[in-house]
Amino acid sequence: MIRKSPMKQENRQTISGADFEEYFQPQNLEKALEIKAEYSDQIEVAAGTTDLLVANYEQLHQIKNWLDLDKIDELRKIEILENELHIGAMVTHLQLMKSDLIKEKLAVLAAAAEDVGSPQIRSRGTIGGNICTSSPAGDLLAPLLSYEASFKLQKAGAERIVRAEDFFTGPKRNLMEADELLTEIIIPLTENEREGAWVKVGRRKALVISTLTLSVVLEFEADKIIEAGIALGSVAPTPIRLWEVGELMLGSSLTELDYKQLGQEVKARINPIDDLRGTREYREDVAADVMVRALNEIERKRG
Amino acid sequence: MTDQNKRIKDYFCKHTTRCTIEGVKKSKRFVGHDVLKADAWDKVTGEAVYPDDIFFDDLLYVKIKRAVHPHAILKDIDISQAKKVEGVVDIVIAEDIPDVRQFGLIIRDQPVLIAPGEKMRYMGDPLAIVVAETKEAAKKARDLIKVKVEELEVITDPFRAMEDDAPDIHPDGNIVITHHLNRGDVDEAFKNSAIVEENRYQTQFIDQLPMQNEAGVALYDERRGVINIWAATQWLHDTQADVAQSLRLSKDQIRIIQPTIGGAFGKKEDVSVHIHLAIAAMRTGRPVKLCFTREESMITQSKRHPITIINKTGVDRDGYLTAWETKFIGDTGAYASSGPAVVHKGMYHATGPYNCPNLRGVSHAVYTNNTYAGAMRGFGTAQGAFAYEQQMDILAEKLSIDPAEFRLKNIYQKDSITPNGQQLTHSVNAEETIKRVMELSDWKGGRK
Amino acid sequence: MQITFTVNGEERELEVTPYTRLLDLLREDLGLTGVKEGCGKGECGACTVIMNGELTASCLVPAPQADQAEILTVEGLGTRDDLHPIQESFVEAGAVQCGYCIPGMILAGKRLLDENPQPTEKEVRYGLSGNICRCTGYAKIIDAVMMAADKLAVEGSDSND
Repeated sequence: MIRKSPMKQENRQTISGADFEEYFQPQNLEKALEIKAEYSDQIEVAAGTTDLLVANYEQLHQIKNWLDLDKIDELRKIEILENELHIGAMVTHLQLMKSDLIKEKLAVLAAAAEDVGSPQIRSRGTIGGNICTSSPAGDLLAPLLSYEASFKLQKAGAERIVRAEDFFTGPKRNLMEADELLTEIIIPLTENEREGAWVKVGRRKALVISTLTLSVVLEFEADKIIEAGIALGSVAPTPIRLWEVGELMLGSSLTELDYKQLGQEVKARINPIDDLRGTREYREDVAADVMVRALNEIERKRG
Repeated sequence: MTDQNKRIKDYFCKHTTRCTIEGVKKSKRFVGHDVLKADAWDKVTGEAVYPDDIFFDDLLYVKIKRAVHPHAILKDIDISQAKKVEGVVDIVIAEDIPDVRQFGLIIRDQPVLIAPGEKMRYMGDPLAIVVAETKEAAKKARDLIKVKVEELEVITDPFRAMEDDAPDIHPDGNIVITHHLNRGDVDEAFKNSAIVEENRYQTQFIDQLPMQNEAGVALYDERRGVINIWAATQWLHDTQADVAQSLRLSKDQIRIIQPTIGGAFGKKEDVSVHIHLAIAAMRTGRPVKLCFTREESMITQSKRHPITIINKTGVDRDGYLTAWETKFIGDTGAYASSGPAVVHKGMYHATGPYNCPNLRGVSHAVYTNNTYAGAMRGFGTAQGAFAYEQQMDILAEKLSIDPAEFRLKNIYQKDSITPNGQQLTHSVNAEETIKRVMELSDWKGGRK
Repeated sequence: MQITFTVNGEERELEVTPYTRLLDLLREDLGLTGVKEGCGKGECGACTVIMNGELTASCLVPAPQADQAEILTVEGLGTRDDLHPIQESFVEAGAVQCGYCIPGMILAGKRLLDENPQPTEKEVRYGLSGNICRCTGYAKIIDAVMMAADKLAVEGSDSND
């Protein structure tokens, strides 16, 4: 009673199963920029592909054009140039957490990288990918704001430097143009003592999209705070830096600060939403708590 | 014993850890010894064959077009564009299989494919079976199927489903089944209780989430008229019978072959890929494979029931339970699955491991447009446990006694009688368990 | 397009498309079905392989990115008759239940022990944090990795003798 299919053997072939046209895997940046200039928004940029393949699950065959940056070694460097740390966009989270240079100079960034996803994700996911995905929950983003990072955006024949804080314009939105690629993350270094703390709040310890992240980077001259980078993720449409809270701390030593009060200052300046990972109220209260926790941690580290 | 008998015995011992051939005899090989799992070697080397590890040379891939709305009448389904995709071998819609019957674990209420004029009742309802030479072609064709629907009110709350003016999700109404429980004189006992505590508890949907999604391969042996289906199931023979009746075949025409299962936890009690695979295999005459994605598995297959539990519990001055009244409203989603058994089983365990002489209960398994709920580890009792243990804690606090002592006073002993009248004649270790927990946790009466 | 890579010590040359994931390539083109798909989104670790020395979710790698890579799957670790000490430990510790997560767990355990031969329980938990077991047999899986560490230590000291 189940009859044989009438379609069998006569296959009307007019539409193809896959839309795939081109896969570019350039060996250098120049070539990549040329391709990006030509295809503009008609090409998917592939870095560590931990976001790309999730976003396009079951739809990979519909991607027409691919620009794979995997073979461009110049985007995988971590180096100091004129008192600035330059991190290539293709540097992975695993490289960040293992790099002695990053651990020494940007400990909060290294700690954040260590909390991203899982070993399987960290070995592939890149700092450039984390930035370009521009999720308000991206774990590296708050530390980048704390360190006052800038991003180098390049297109064929031109480049511009954008401050991290200006880069993010909304959830998964940024001001990168269709013909541009993010190539480098630039972070100013200092001779002064820098101490920081990283807090990630999530429902599990691994493989979790953050409910809230906090990055605190303090710069000291003797015992006085001369720079305070307080930044949070998952509490607003973009990762945010709380300049006003930082300013409240300037000129004081840690012992002169009221941590609880600063926690309340943080709470008052964030604008979280209710979502699957937590309510607005929860995030506000937790933000205040983790600010206190972070300051205690810095105090402990300084001994 | 011959060599062959020894081998058979060995096989049974390995696979059941029971020695059945020599009758009831204390085993020297297993009891009191660590027994290594017989299939562990296959599993640590990657040799174990799970359903999606089975390949044939001329394998076709199956994808299912599913509902586009949780509660709507299918007005029209257009597969003309989808058929043009290169590599598509067959697209089956309801009109191609007019004689196929509905299926289901307890109540046969699940359609194999929704026909125009019929209703889709949740997002997992199947509208068409796409068979193609490649996965990409199958996916592409599936996404090109166009569907027109007339939307109906979507019911996501069982309490709304039980209201008089709620639309019927199934022809016989939205309450699948009602069970009652009655023992002693509850009203009198409440009157004589020192404290009566009434609370409402709500549990949520939980996916069993076995590591392996539903998957299978089927091959139609045309000469013998037998369909071979390699797919996971927890009820091999029930699945065989259900697939056979649905396709109007005899049971010996359906062979269900159980490969290694990547976890089930209740989720694989229900028929999943089996019938669609059988149809695709018969229509194309080629081996066919259908693997659910995780999302598809979540949307389509069973869940743990969310149950609303209203417990009213009485206790006397001395801390003994006097009466318990309970109501279990289980959201069984779009189809009954194991719901008619799960929800009332939960109710029968409403008092947990605690003695209570007077009982009254009612349970309803209710249809909604949510993903259907079925079996999951504990079969209704886990939901009840959340509610009765909360009741016990609240009562202990009101009585100002140690919650562990309060439990010990009421705990099942040998010869206790459960709410549904079963006498526990042996092996009742609940008291011992609580005492051991108190000891191991260095229990200090709940105070720090 | 053509890629060349080494799988379990053997060099392979294959024709691939970019919409083929490394997972599909290994399972369907090379028959290495010990690599499992649990979620397809890098959340569960069932598809874990060791790629260029690092744990990798093969469901999140487009095939062309595996070009020139060195890949180890569970099939390359040991055979039934000659189990790798980690595989042996998983059998002996009773760490295997449904088995679907086990190839990934074993590779995560191996990667950890390669770097850190005597891990603490906490380090084992961190090393396996990208792998989910739904039979919830974590305690015995952790035992198995600790047991393997001991076995490998003994083996190592034997070979030094």
